[in-house]
Amino acid sequence: MRKSRILGAVALLLSVSLLLAACGTPASTSPTTPSPTASSTSPSQEGGTIVVKGSDTMVNLASAWAEDYITGHPNVKITVSGGGSGIGIAALLNKTTDICNNSRPLKQEEVDKAKAGGIDPVSTIVAKDGVAVVVHPSNPISELSLEQLAAIFGGKITNWKELGGSDTEIVVLSRDNNSGTHLFFKEHVIQVKDKKAEYGPKVQFLPTSQSIADEVARNPKAIGYYGLGYLSNQQKAVAVKSATGPAVLPSLATVLDNSYPVSRPLFCTTNGQPKGAMQDYLAWILSPKGQEIVRSLDFVPVQ
Amino acid sequence: MVLAAAGWMTVVILVLIMIMLFVEGLPILAVTNPFSFLFTSQWYPVSDPPVFGILSLIIGSLMITATALVIAIPLGIGAAAFLAEIAPPPVREAIKPVIELLSGIPSIVLGFIGFLLLAPAIQRIFNLDSGLNGLTAGILLAFMCLPTIVSISEDALSAVPREYKEASLALGATRWQTIYRVLIPAARPGIVASVMLGMGRAIGETMTVLMVSGGRLAIPSFITDPMSAMTGRIAIEINNAVFGGLQYQALFAIGIVLFLITFAINLVADLVLEKQRRRYA
Amino acid sequence: MSIVNLTMTENRTVPVVFEENVAVKMRSQAVSLFYDKVEALKEVTLPILANRITAIIGPSGCGKSSYLRLFNRMNDLIWNAKVKGQVYLDEEALYDPKIDVVELRKRVGMVFQKPNPFPMSVFDNVAYGPRLHGAKEMGGLSEIVERCLRQAALWEEVKDKLKGSAFALSGGQQQRLCIARVLAVGPEVILLDEPCSALDPASTMRIEDLMQELKVNYTLAIVTHNMQQAGRASDYTAYLLMGELIEFGPTKSLFTYPRDKRTEDYLTGRWG
Repeated sequence: MRKSRILGAVALLLSVSLLLAACGTPASTSPTTPSPTASSTSPSQEGGTIVVKGSDTMVNLASAWAEDYITGHPNVKITVSGGGSGIGIAALLNKTTDICNNSRPLKQEEVDKAKAGGIDPVSTIVAKDGVAVVVHPSNPISELSLEQLAAIFGGKITNWKELGGSDTEIVVLSRDNNSGTHLFFKEHVIQVKDKKAEYGPKVQFLPTSQSIADEVARNPKAIGYYGLGYLSNQQKAVAVKSATGPAVLPSLATVLDNSYPVSRPLFCTTNGQPKGAMQDYLAWILSPKGQEIVRSLDFVPVQ
Repeated sequence: MVLAAAGWMTVVILVLIMIMLFVEGLPILAVTNPFSFLFTSQWYPVSDPPVFGILSLIIGSLMITATALVIAIPLGIGAAAFLAEIAPPPVREAIKPVIELLSGIPSIVLGFIGFLLLAPAIQRIFNLDSGLNGLTAGILLAFMCLPTIVSISEDALSAVPREYKEASLALGATRWQTIYRVLIPAARPGIVASVMLGMGRAIGETMTVLMVSGGRLAIPSFITDPMSAMTGRIAIEINNAVFGGLQYQALFAIGIVLFLITFAINLVADLVLEKQRRRYA
Repeated sequence: MSIVNLTMTENRTVPVVFEENVAVKMRSQAVSLFYDKVEALKEVTLPILANRITAIIGPSGCGKSSYLRLFNRMNDLIWNAKVKGQVYLDEEALYDPKIDVVELRKRVGMVFQKPNPFPMSVFDNVAYGPRLHGAKEMGGLSEIVERCLRQAALWEEVKDKLKGSAFALSGGQQQRLCIARVLAVGPEVILLDEPCSALDPASTMRIEDLMQELKVNYTLAIVTHNMQQAGRASDYTAYLLMGELIEFGPTKSLFTYPRDKRTEDYLTGRWG
């Protein structure tokens, strides 16, 4: 009896550790082999190889899509790699990738460069990403403006009192810089006014969204952010107010209708309108099956 | 013959690892001068332009490791002395395997326990803003290097000739006087080795520190501040860094610093031991 | 201190000559020693006389070392050892729970079979006991060390290498260093557990001479498997066999006219 209970405890610990290990896996690993050059076989034929490259935020999503898709399409081989939106776009421009994952639209100079190189970038919104800002449920603060968030995460505001809360230190929690959300939050929130602004020196970078969720749930002084999927009733999501609009709480609906400010579309960009296998693949991504995967990875479906 | 080959193989592999570290890491110095790399604490590897200053990481690693040792050395040697000299053999036989089993606990499990149980406790006890800080990491690391320290120190203490212990006790020394004045000094090489190994584990430990040290990238002023360690930085960023890019080089350069610190510590320990050996051999 | 008249039962025609008016420094009263269930000593009753050298002889494994270690309670170190009966120092019961073992061991010193200096300098070895018991570096520690080294007849040989490692000394010197180390604590009794078994004959002689000098001020008990040594160096001899006291008496009488057949067998070499 005793022995079996001990064994049970050990098994529990082990499974927990495996789970954690899984959570801790950095976002840019990809189950399929990255390829430095685009397919030799033309992707316009049925079957063949599709090379996908780009945003780290999307790399898990792209891998999950690819894995699910190839089970139904054994003739198609898909390789997915990360590196960042910029790297994906650069790869599209020098024709070393078929699909570029970008979590930001192309800049004008990139579009110009593409045109000069005879490339016609066509971006499709395949999912949306909403980042919730959360505090402890006991925190009286229930809405913050983008500028206030920028000040908190940039280290300019360090006490809840300055925001109308209690007179305590703000414990600022952020994703680490291996996360696309880290960059997104920096570019869209911290740098909302000052393009040179950085995370403040006292910000604590935690390795996983789950650890931020756990710490916010138990620390009344904490504030943090993560994808919508990690929201639960143990944390309180803060309504975010942009310069123009009203304060909006994050939800699938508010992300989808663009009223929630801390959200962004995620794109797949191809050279010209996708054809053949690629067309089929992108259509599949937008199908209920593909969008279910979006939801399961805590992004917001577009359909 | 085979053993010699294996020995040389180890040396060759070690040298190759060193070469790899230096080849991959040193180019960062073309972008960042060594002084600002080592002695500033701005770490913005994914900004444009990136900034690489690792002082806060060095200090974080040293503070956490030192805390771990401050806790683990007295506790570990005390436990080893208890097992070797005070506990009756049946108790020793029962406890020692359990302690050695502790070293088999995966660090992520300890990190998990630390995150869920220790961190809130530390936060409450010391009335801190966050339980994720250097002290929590240090305590967990102490726990991780304890089995090594206890096990090897216990072996070293047990290997001290019985005659020393008997002589001391027969002179009217108490057990603790005997342990403190004769046995520990006589077992010092083994104890120092155990501490070195324990410290190696502490300074090289990644996952636990990553989970509970708080991840702040500023120079900590006190052990209860959130902080980051060099290992955790490398672990979290290396997969994301562009192969051969600046961030990648900077992470390898952190590896070089870590390597040099560990090397220096081991060297000093060796020299100290050698001096001891010469004195009483 | 009680005075005993040791004129024991007399079976032989030759009388055994005991000294008159010798004080008993230590004694065991029907003491038995068990390691777990094994009885290593069986109700041994024996006096250790003041300012005399008492030799305890017997074949290997007869319990003589175990017996000696009753007097400074070194058997306490063996976790499964149990003592029945009683041992006295100046008529104080040593196995009384009130006894402070640390204090006892200051009064009853011990020299071991293998010279066992600590891995320290010569000086630190001798100073070990005084330092434990509160002597200060400035308060005459070096005087104590010098006096004890002189008493142990070692001073002349080591006075220039006090700071050197004790391991640099020869085996015989190391053993005398151990004696000096015991003297530095200021004991009343010195127990010697086969102190010469690891030494060459010349070193052995020096230790034996030293014992004769020491008995003026101290009570000595020596365990030895060397019968010649017991004959040469001791005043009284006890013969132990398989944990039992077979015979005790003045060394000369016991060696010349053993009263027990088993003693005679051992002395004449029919044993071991």
